[in-house]
Amino acid sequence: MMKFNYILLCVLLLVANGLAAQTPKGSVLIKNATVLTVTQGTLEGTDVLVQDGLIKKIGQGLSAPRNVESIDATGKFLMPGIIDAHSHLALDVVNEATAPITAQVSMADVVNPYDVGIYRALAGGTTIAHGLHGSANAIGGQSITMKYRYGSHDPEDIIMKEAPRTIKFALGENPTRVHGRGKNLQPRTRMGVEAVIRNGFAEAIQYKKQWEAYNASKDKKNNTITPPVYNLKLETLADILDGEIIIHCHSYRADEIYMLINVCRDFGVDKLVFTHVNEGFKVAPELAKYTMGASVFSDWWAYKFEVYYSTAYNAAILMENDVITSINSDSDELIRHLYHEAAKTQRYGGLTDEQALSLITINPAKQLGIDKFVGSIEEGKQADLVIFDNHPLSVYAIPQMTFVDGVKYFDINEDEDDQRLKVSPTQMVEPVYLQAEDERCMHGVELFTGETANFTHTH
Amino acid sequence: MIKRQNTLKLLMVWLCLLFGQAVYSQSDYTGKKRVTGTYAITNATIITSPGKTINNGTVIIKDGLFESISSNAQVPVDAQIIPGDSLIIYPGFIDALGEQGVSAPDEVKKPEGMDPSNPPNDVAGITPELEVLQYWEIGDNGVEDWRKNGFSISQVAPKGLMLPGKTALVVFGDEKSSNYLSTASGLYAQFKTARGVYPGTTLGLMAKWRELYKNAELKQQHSKMFASQGNGLARPQNDLSLEAFYPVINQEIPVIFKTKDELEIRRALKLQNELGFKLVLAGIEDGSSLADDIKAAGASVILSLDLPDPKASQAELEDATEEAKKAQQRVVEAYNNALMQAANFEKAGIPFAFSTLDAKSGEFMKHLRLMVENGLSEEAALAALTVNAAEILGISQFTGSIAEGNLANLVITTDKLTDEMVKIKYVFADGYLFEYEGGKSNVDMSKAKELVGNWNYESETPGGTSKGTVKYEVSSGELQGEIVVDDPDGGGQITRKLKDINYDGKELSFNFSVMAQGNKLIVHAKGIVMDNKFEGTLSIKDMGKYSLKATKVPEFKL
Repeated sequence: MMKFNYILLCVLLLVANGLAAQTPKGSVLIKNATVLTVTQGTLEGTDVLVQDGLIKKIGQGLSAPRNVESIDATGKFLMPGIIDAHSHLALDVVNEATAPITAQVSMADVVNPYDVGIYRALAGGTTIAHGLHGSANAIGGQSITMKYRYGSHDPEDIIMKEAPRTIKFALGENPTRVHGRGKNLQPRTRMGVEAVIRNGFAEAIQYKKQWEAYNASKDKKNNTITPPVYNLKLETLADILDGEIIIHCHSYRADEIYMLINVCRDFGVDKLVFTHVNEGFKVAPELAKYTMGASVFSDWWAYKFEVYYSTAYNAAILMENDVITSINSDSDELIRHLYHEAAKTQRYGGLTDEQALSLITINPAKQLGIDKFVGSIEEGKQADLVIFDNHPLSVYAIPQMTFVDGVKYFDINEDEDDQRLKVSPTQMVEPVYLQAEDERCMHGVELFTGETANFTHTH
Repeated sequence: MIKRQNTLKLLMVWLCLLFGQAVYSQSDYTGKKRVTGTYAITNATIITSPGKTINNGTVIIKDGLFESISSNAQVPVDAQIIPGDSLIIYPGFIDALGEQGVSAPDEVKKPEGMDPSNPPNDVAGITPELEVLQYWEIGDNGVEDWRKNGFSISQVAPKGLMLPGKTALVVFGDEKSSNYLSTASGLYAQFKTARGVYPGTTLGLMAKWRELYKNAELKQQHSKMFASQGNGLARPQNDLSLEAFYPVINQEIPVIFKTKDELEIRRALKLQNELGFKLVLAGIEDGSSLADDIKAAGASVILSLDLPDPKASQAELEDATEEAKKAQQRVVEAYNNALMQAANFEKAGIPFAFSTLDAKSGEFMKHLRLMVENGLSEEAALAALTVNAAEILGISQFTGSIAEGNLANLVITTDKLTDEMVKIKYVFADGYLFEYEGGKSNVDMSKAKELVGNWNYESETPGGTSKGTVKYEVSSGELQGEIVVDDPDGGGQITRKLKDINYDGKELSFNFSVMAQGNKLIVHAKGIVMDNKFEGTLSIKDMGKYSLKATKVPEFKL
């Protein structure tokens, strides 16, 4: 028996090892940096020891264990890896724009680890991004939190397994344009959007009851209840009602933000984050009280009618009203310099360094439900770190090195020109390559809106 | 009296003759029926299966099966003898996934007022219940195009979107035979969705797959409950699409997933891992780096016979910047990797077969040679075309090698399969002989002189009447020719050389190619020559057939 237990233990350990060894974990000692911990102040001339992907020790005069590389960061700044709560990078598909509710679809199915944009994001200090479904549907697909472990060909390797499930909702002009104007379906108005969401939740409750009834009696003798139809959409909505999924809702106007807060309160849902939130400053107390916060742009607005009433002070107002606030990119380009975006809140709103940095680190981590793993430099947290030459909120700041789980994925001194993981054998090489980037929130919905992307800004 | 007797006799003879005639014409009123079903190919090099050779051997075929294979066989008296001296006999090739002879079902009309978020299954490209044989025609050109490349069996896939239907196993035998080995060999799946309805992208496709599968499981459960218990249970509603999943759920047939690249392979593996079906990954163009995952999943592998167009990797970049040249280097690497894919699968120890989907029959031999030149062993190449394919398709008990009792499918070539000069002379499929002239000229030179000279032609095309000239000459013992045609890209006329000229004194055919907007079009001309006049057609693949008339210009001798 003892022997058997021993063997079992060995097997279990092996399996555990196998699981743990799935993604690379590094060890490194970063010496004598100005450490911007975000949650525990700024530590001058401090060393950070990373072992097996975790921050082991923060202190002075630490020495590197054998075989652990030590990096001299004298005069440099070390901050937590930047977290982007709203991105569409490294996804093969953004919108399944064929239905007003597509809760059944999952961005994890279309992660593309070959996207060279991941490397570019790393070069801008971003280590984690939330890959969202687009905003074509009132309830879009389930999103995916990614750790940018660039180099692996396996999409599973860049998925952050510890992260809770999230889902995209969208209010206002995008879903009404795609389904109402484009296909003459509900929702055609903001009232319709609310109805679609409420109906979805109500249906999910019915669905859950059906299955509970079936499961309760299926093993009983002479059971006559036959299996209900499996519906992945309602299954997912029921999971939202059960608090297993965090909603990230595309929104602009104060009225619609307050509307969804009320809908969620009615259905007992409290895991709710608003994204874009341009009129969030008007409902800041409500956002603070009832939600997991707001993820905003620093200064983007006026690209369509519902985004005219906006201000660059939005982030600062929200933060001063105790709303968990983050700044996101929603762009494969902005994701490369979110530290600039955060710095704008010091010009517009006078946030402190720590407040400004929290917009792109610990706050988005909270909104994604991963703040106990990442988002600040603390012992025991995952070693997602960026070394800057100047203070990251300085306009002169340039990222020097970026680490994920203690593994260095970007080093400005080893930055080869061609970082693509995969090249097509039939791609004709152009001597000069210039391309304008279109923002991707409404990617793939032209079919329904009948408009070309050239004429409509699409967030 | 004597006279009457004679008359009677005469009548009887007449009757007999008439009767005899009738019997004869009933058995072969077309004159096409073969004289015998027994064949002997003598004194040939026989590759019975990859790596196994019989020199100077004889293969005897009788009524569709191999009767004997040996070096000293007795040739049956009724056998048609094919002297195999200097020829090589290979087992007939098996296409593990193709679409020869398959036509697409009619496009489904969207119902009036349909909700695009919840379309009927067929509108969404979900027809797993469809059986490909309903859309299969052996007389189709596609069958002949691949048969003359040595193929005699194919697993044919239905045309459509995400779940087009069931595949079937067919043999490229005689048009009069039924020619199928299995009516439902697998459930065909693709990463292809309908436009404008759910599911419209890979996102929706993955979710829909899970939902269909799960509901098929539940429905089968319900049906079983109803069958065993009955009383008090709701009657299960029929659903052809879900019921089509039953043999997959019951592990009787595999899902044959068309997966071109690594991400598609991973997505199919993900579904397999979640749902637990038998999986065949087919049409792989880029996947050898996933060998371990594929092995772990126990999935079968069918590689594409299509290879990337070398145009990009061979582009001239002499005047380009250093940066562009470096980028080009990576394209070349990627191209070389693509050619090495089959070799890499061989190295990884994964047996694989080939699929002709997306491949051009005219490039088959070239592509096979390219793979062998890039590291694939000749044995593995042959195995992929024969034994491995039979194994994957579950038909190795009666085909895949030249063995007694197996289906009489074989290829007879002039040289080794991978030799640049190789020509296929004969193919046997289902015991039926198909003769190919192995690339030799098909011109009756004694009649060719009649053609020599200039001809004026006219062709009626949708773009109007097109006129030009054709010139024939005999040079170094061969009939050659050239045609002057309107340049499809505009700007006058161009002269093209005629290729594959066939002329037997009556029937004349040839090909030539023209470039239209960067695409090479092969034009095929065919018709009858009579009294210095030609009447026939011009045809371009996938575009149409146009009339072609030509008259020889009289020669004036001074």
